[in-house]
Amino acid sequence: MMKLTGLAFAAGLATLMGSTAMAEPVTATPGQAVNAVLLPKFLGILPFDQANRGAQEAAAELGSTGTLEFIGPTPENSAAGQIEMLTNATTQKQNVVMLSNNAGDQIAPAAEAAAAAGTKVVTWDSPIPNGAGESFFVAQVDFGSIGVVMADMAYDLAGGAGEFAVLSASPDAANQNAWIDAMKKTLAEDAKYKDLKLVDVVYGNDQSEESYNKALGLVDKYPDLKVIMAPTTVGIVAAAKAMQDEGLCEKVKVSGLGLPAEMVSYSLNGCAPQFALWSFVDLGYLTYQASYALATGAIKGEVGEEFTAGRMGTFKIEEDPGRPGAKRVLMGPFTVYTKDNVEAAAN
Amino acid sequence: MTQPVLELLGLSKSFAATQALKDMSLTILPGEVHAIVGENGAGKSTLIKIMTGVHQPDTGTVRVDGQPVTLKSTQAAQEAGIAAIYQEPMVFPDLNVAENIFISNRAKGRIMRWSEIYAEADSLIAPLGVKLDVRRAASGLTLAEQQTVEIARALSLKVKVLIMDEPTASLSAHEVARLLDIARALKAQGVAVIYISHRLDEIFRIADRVTVIRDGQHISTKPIAEVTEDGLVKDMVGRALESFAVKTAANPHGETLLSVKDLTCAGVFQNITFDLHKGEVLCFAGLVGARRTDVALSLFGIAPATDGTITLAGQQVSITTPQQAMDLGIAYVSEDRRKLGLAMPLSIFANISLASLKKLLKPFGIIDRQAEAAMAETYRKRLAIRSPDTLIEVGKLSGGNQQKVMLAKWLETKPRVLIFDEPTRGIDVGAKAEVHAIIRQLASEGVAILVISSDLPEVLALADRVLVMREGRQAGILRIEEATQERVIAMAAGQATTERPAA
Amino acid sequence: MTLLTRASPQTLRLLALGLALLATILFFATQIEGYLSPRMFSRISTSAAVVLPIAVGQAIVIMTRNIDLSAGSVMGVVAYMAGQTLSSMPDLHPVLAVLFCMSLGAALGAINGIIIAWGRVPSIIVTLGTLALFRSFLVEWSDAKTITTASLPQWLVDLPSANAFSIGSLDIRVTVVLALVAVLVTGAALTFYRPARRFYAVGSNPDAALMAGINANRVVLTAFILSGAFAGLSGFLFLAKFGNITVVAGLGYELKAIAAVVVGGVSIMGGSGSMIGVLMGALLVDTIDNSLTRWAVVSEFWRDALLGGLIMAAVTVDTLASRQLTRMRKGGQQ
Repeated sequence: MMKLTGLAFAAGLATLMGSTAMAEPVTATPGQAVNAVLLPKFLGILPFDQANRGAQEAAAELGSTGTLEFIGPTPENSAAGQIEMLTNATTQKQNVVMLSNNAGDQIAPAAEAAAAAGTKVVTWDSPIPNGAGESFFVAQVDFGSIGVVMADMAYDLAGGAGEFAVLSASPDAANQNAWIDAMKKTLAEDAKYKDLKLVDVVYGNDQSEESYNKALGLVDKYPDLKVIMAPTTVGIVAAAKAMQDEGLCEKVKVSGLGLPAEMVSYSLNGCAPQFALWSFVDLGYLTYQASYALATGAIKGEVGEEFTAGRMGTFKIEEDPGRPGAKRVLMGPFTVYTKDNVEAAAN
Repeated sequence: MTQPVLELLGLSKSFAATQALKDMSLTILPGEVHAIVGENGAGKSTLIKIMTGVHQPDTGTVRVDGQPVTLKSTQAAQEAGIAAIYQEPMVFPDLNVAENIFISNRAKGRIMRWSEIYAEADSLIAPLGVKLDVRRAASGLTLAEQQTVEIARALSLKVKVLIMDEPTASLSAHEVARLLDIARALKAQGVAVIYISHRLDEIFRIADRVTVIRDGQHISTKPIAEVTEDGLVKDMVGRALESFAVKTAANPHGETLLSVKDLTCAGVFQNITFDLHKGEVLCFAGLVGARRTDVALSLFGIAPATDGTITLAGQQVSITTPQQAMDLGIAYVSEDRRKLGLAMPLSIFANISLASLKKLLKPFGIIDRQAEAAMAETYRKRLAIRSPDTLIEVGKLSGGNQQKVMLAKWLETKPRVLIFDEPTRGIDVGAKAEVHAIIRQLASEGVAILVISSDLPEVLALADRVLVMREGRQAGILRIEEATQERVIAMAAGQATTERPAA
Repeated sequence: MTLLTRASPQTLRLLALGLALLATILFFATQIEGYLSPRMFSRISTSAAVVLPIAVGQAIVIMTRNIDLSAGSVMGVVAYMAGQTLSSMPDLHPVLAVLFCMSLGAALGAINGIIIAWGRVPSIIVTLGTLALFRSFLVEWSDAKTITTASLPQWLVDLPSANAFSIGSLDIRVTVVLALVAVLVTGAALTFYRPARRFYAVGSNPDAALMAGINANRVVLTAFILSGAFAGLSGFLFLAKFGNITVVAGLGYELKAIAAVVVGGVSIMGGSGSMIGVLMGALLVDTIDNSLTRWAVVSEFWRDALLGGLIMAAVTVDTLASRQLTRMRKGGQQ
């Protein structure tokens, strides 16, 4: 920590100057020692692995002489494991922990303890709902724009009119709920969607089997259903497989947020002609860039600060509209996948 | 000279600090009934466990038909032709009777032909003269019925050596006679029967030779014609012992403490009515299956009665849980030590203090360990529990000593009414006299005592009055002056004039 | 009345469980339009088919007074590794694929069984450990790759919708037949195969089992091997049904299985239980679950709580009814 004091002072000076003059994007000095931990919800699934790839890429570019560890709990122990690992990282005096939070507000005390001990906590993918202990959140996309994209995909697949339903992850997943609310808002405000009717929201808890059964339940419950919108990568494949198994792909289309690698066969056979996703590689890359800048003192994590993030360009810290008092860095945009581009993205 | 079927040569076995067997040798001939007698803790149980392959000796050799064998498991022992009926019956409560009989019978093939199994089980049970539905689950069988199942199981194995460990402890007189007949029949087929019993009269009726062991050592083996009862007892305890006398008159006793009227438990027993006075010993006599234990269980709240009244010290009470019974000062020393009486993995002191922990509490609910240990030590001395200290697991003690631990547990609750269920079952003569003395002592201190016993000499030695039960009904109450063995048996078997017409 | 007097308490329990299942179906039939339909039958039967094999294995373990908490992790490992194997060897014969799954599961079950039987460690501790261990192994092994439907042979992808035969308008799917075969074979073995009776003996009275010359260690080991093998079969069905396999496959299935087993009347104290009971238990839990999904009256937030409540209610009805039936039987005898 002693080593960083001078840097922090310099950075503080820079910020001071920045605030008096017009804000200029800061660029962190490469080659410094930043010990970082990338902590996903749990290990073993593709999106988090991709994020790690992006983070490693950024670390190599910045030439950090510290370490970048990719550690996480096993799936059955996710929440408790995350809290434990964050606490460990704090005692090891890591400079920054990049967290995709799966423990809700339960993790806030551990994050506050980390911040107090000098270990910065940057969240990505999924934030700490109350924002406590977190420096800022690297948001994949603007929640409002997800709402618009989901409404548009439903509109396209339903042919402009008809019933559709949402298959979400869990009732307490903050990001999912925010996206669904944003979509509802879009539907209500734009006359374009007046014939589109959202009939139900169900939850598959990110379990294949539950999502599969819930998707079939929707079809049984609403005979005129045209689209199942699943803003979860587990839910969308389970729903697509359920429609395929029951021979319903002609009648009910599946859409939402999915990984191209997992969705390729359903895109090609017409069960899920359209879905969207952002790049997890980019998300990992940006998260590392922002965390490096924060740990080296190039930015302080204040609203209004701008920084450059390598190949991705310039980003700005702003108020998080979804979480009062919390801050975010918005990545955006995302890609809509169809049968034309899904195969290329799958590899 | 005939080839011995089983020879034990110089067996020794230690458990931690205790030497259970020392240089034990024994020869068993085919077609003999060989009795083994000894006090509790003499090493009989260890000897049996070695013969049945449960334990392996530290040193020494076992030979079957002249060939040295290693009995490394019960299965190996069974294959060598040795099986046992144990003091505590070993049945599978969830399996039906027939399957219990054939459970270890490997000759039966891999496919269960249920109708054959039932038929064969019936044919094994029938000669034992017991009515038992072989299709019913073994749970809920009485100890006697469980033992019947075990005997049938051993018979089905066509054994060369059958060990009977206290087989008659819970059987009624005519069931004992039947068992002895079976033993004789086995003997006639050339099977060697090793017969272990505390009932010396049975040994004189059945045994060809008798071996006495004491403190893990072989004392003597003699043909039965060369021994006397006194001589055997002397060998067992290492000193002469006076036999207990029949009581001829009731003790003077005080006011009525417990009054039971028309106590009924639907489908189990009906209309039990008696008064029990302070300082009185009331014995429940009857054949196995007379439901005496069920009456005791209802008084102790384990299986509450469905009808009738219980009045204790002038107050009508309702007893539906053991806790209520204990609060009222009723204690029950059970027949089945394993199931209802003792926590086998716990130490002696923990068992003794179990029912009276409240008295040992220091502030904040902490148990006063010193007081607890002192209490246990007092009982160890008073009841002569044979164990170096009170830290030993109860499960490691012999049956008689377990009985004493259980008694100590209940004595500490200072009960007003003490129910003993077969208090001396499986206990040797020395310990039996001690238990009788304790019961008399408690009565003289004013405790009202109810004793359930199948051992008629014991009933006549202890009772002030005898309540005879038959098939769930009260056959009558005899004062001790009127009670003789013949009369009690006659009433229990249903020949008495006091019998009520069936409802 | 003659039926009642001859039936054992076990049979009475099954009768009561059947009544609870019937009551559940009749209730939802009044609540959900088109409930008593071939389609609903398919939904519930195919959903129960995945959990049934793992429940069968769990029942055997519970009969021996043990528990297998690792079954869900075994299922996940098998589903993943089988998916990988079939991706690289798409020509593998379906029968061999099933055998592969069951053998792999059996091998993992043997690890549990050996530690429990010979290490003398309580099964709840060992399998809690392997629950995490097998899952961690899967995380390492998978290297964050997903098994996708696209990489699987077509016969496997089509298996969940494949029909074995139809009874009237009711379709019996191949996966359902597979699960039922597991139940029936195990049920027959537990009734008629002597070595299988030892599961009951060991759970009923371990001391007596020792005295009867039964090698309890071997029996317990066999129970865990079977539990693993059946978890492997569930893993195969899981792979076929969902196609997309990640490291979360099978998560929580051990609890679903235990619920089905306990509702099905297998005593958690060991020694008793039947496969018909397990079948009805699995059906009851799945019926309630699938029906609630389609019942408009309850909101999503209350469904889980209601599911738990209804399972408890069904078990209560079952217990009370079997007690009542036992009493009627006693009355009938007198």
